[in-house]
Amino acid sequence: MSNRSMWSLKLSTAAIALIPAAIGINYLGKLVAGLLKLPLWLDSIGTVLSAMLAGPIIGALSGIINNIIYGVTADPISTVYAITSGVIGLIVGVMAYKGWLKNFKTVIVVGLVVGLAAAVISTPLNLIFWGGQTGNVWGDAFYAFLVSNDVPVWLASFGDSVIVDVPDKLATVIVGYLIFKGLPNNFISIFQGQDKIEEL
Amino acid sequence: MSTMTLYADRDSVIHNHVSPLTKVLYVVVSIAITYIYPDLLFVLLVTIFSGLMLTLGKVFRRILPILAISIILIISIVIVQGFFNPENQTELFSIGFLTFYKEGISYAALLTLRVFNMIMAFGVLILTTKHDELVEAFIRKGLSPKIGYVLLSVLQLIPQMRATMGKIADAQASRGMETKGNLSVRMKAFFPLIGPVVLNSLNSTRERAIALEVRGFNTGIKKTFLNAAKEYHHQGFIQLILWLVLLGTIVWRILI
Repeated sequence: MSNRSMWSLKLSTAAIALIPAAIGINYLGKLVAGLLKLPLWLDSIGTVLSAMLAGPIIGALSGIINNIIYGVTADPISTVYAITSGVIGLIVGVMAYKGWLKNFKTVIVVGLVVGLAAAVISTPLNLIFWGGQTGNVWGDAFYAFLVSNDVPVWLASFGDSVIVDVPDKLATVIVGYLIFKGLPNNFISIFQGQDKIEEL
Repeated sequence: MSTMTLYADRDSVIHNHVSPLTKVLYVVVSIAITYIYPDLLFVLLVTIFSGLMLTLGKVFRRILPILAISIILIISIVIVQGFFNPENQTELFSIGFLTFYKEGISYAALLTLRVFNMIMAFGVLILTTKHDELVEAFIRKGLSPKIGYVLLSVLQLIPQMRATMGKIADAQASRGMETKGNLSVRMKAFFPLIGPVVLNSLNSTRERAIALEVRGFNTGIKKTFLNAAKEYHHQGFIQLILWLVLLGTIVWRILI
């Protein structure tokens, strides 16, 4: 890891150029998951990968901009979740910097933390905007089950989010990590490195 | 070069006489007031107004596919709230053993209208505004040009990456990759599909970084614009009205 602070706002050109690529990877992840009919979205692989490569600031920016762009070009509803995506990038970036990408076990912890955080952030958004549901069939069935058993709405909504987010984000972080591990070292150093472009 | 956009080129009042920033303010105000004042009739009126704006912009038909994306969310809202809303008491009607309740259905109607209004208000912005004009308007207002670059380049990059994806999918299929079958087969196909595209895009990111650096992307000098700003009149007045509507709704909500 580089010795600069992970919170440095002096972003290198390579790091900024990484954001569009990350958003593209998010988009393709979702596309391929849909193509292969996987039961997950896998639509934040790019955010996770960019956070692993270039730190929490770039990760958070990738997440937020991803949802804004997606909102403006396809589905306005996804703009609501810009904050969730930003937090996903932020957490992965911080945990990667603190050395949580050592081995597969720690990566699973990262995935669970990210999934739970995503659920915690999404729950108030779901409650405010659509009365607590997510629009995911399994999650909403679980929500209906909880509400009909007199569980408070906010808790049911949280359960709905957990069921939807935790498996998806866990898989996303694992996929992101496997890709990250497979990258040649000189790739990784560009994005983490200093502004010395001649090193390229 | 192909880009991703929903912009529909029309000759209308909304296209020609409303500035991008005014439309952004419209989106914010129109969505905010439906959540500030939770009254079915009021939200219906706001939604109709958004629909009217779309009709005025001659893009009403273009919003329908976007509305269709959210249909699963809406069906789910209607069913779950209709059956399971904790405040359900008054029976509205029943189909077989399924009973819908009045409280739940009216709450579901409110939520549905809010979702519709959200999408239609967004539609007023995104169907009638060129994205480069929108981003430039923000940069003039003080958004960092670097972020502006990121926003615009994504829209060009995604179609390129999608094309690369198609090539890689063909190449892998010709090597005998299975994309159909049970879950584990399909999961195994994920990496050979996504891996090369990711490597490819990171590689071109490196090249793009060099190209940008050569063109002075990182200099601290003030950037100029390629396109002249389009002139709009009376924007201050429209924006003032929008702010007043927002303020009025808040006051109304507090008083009633």
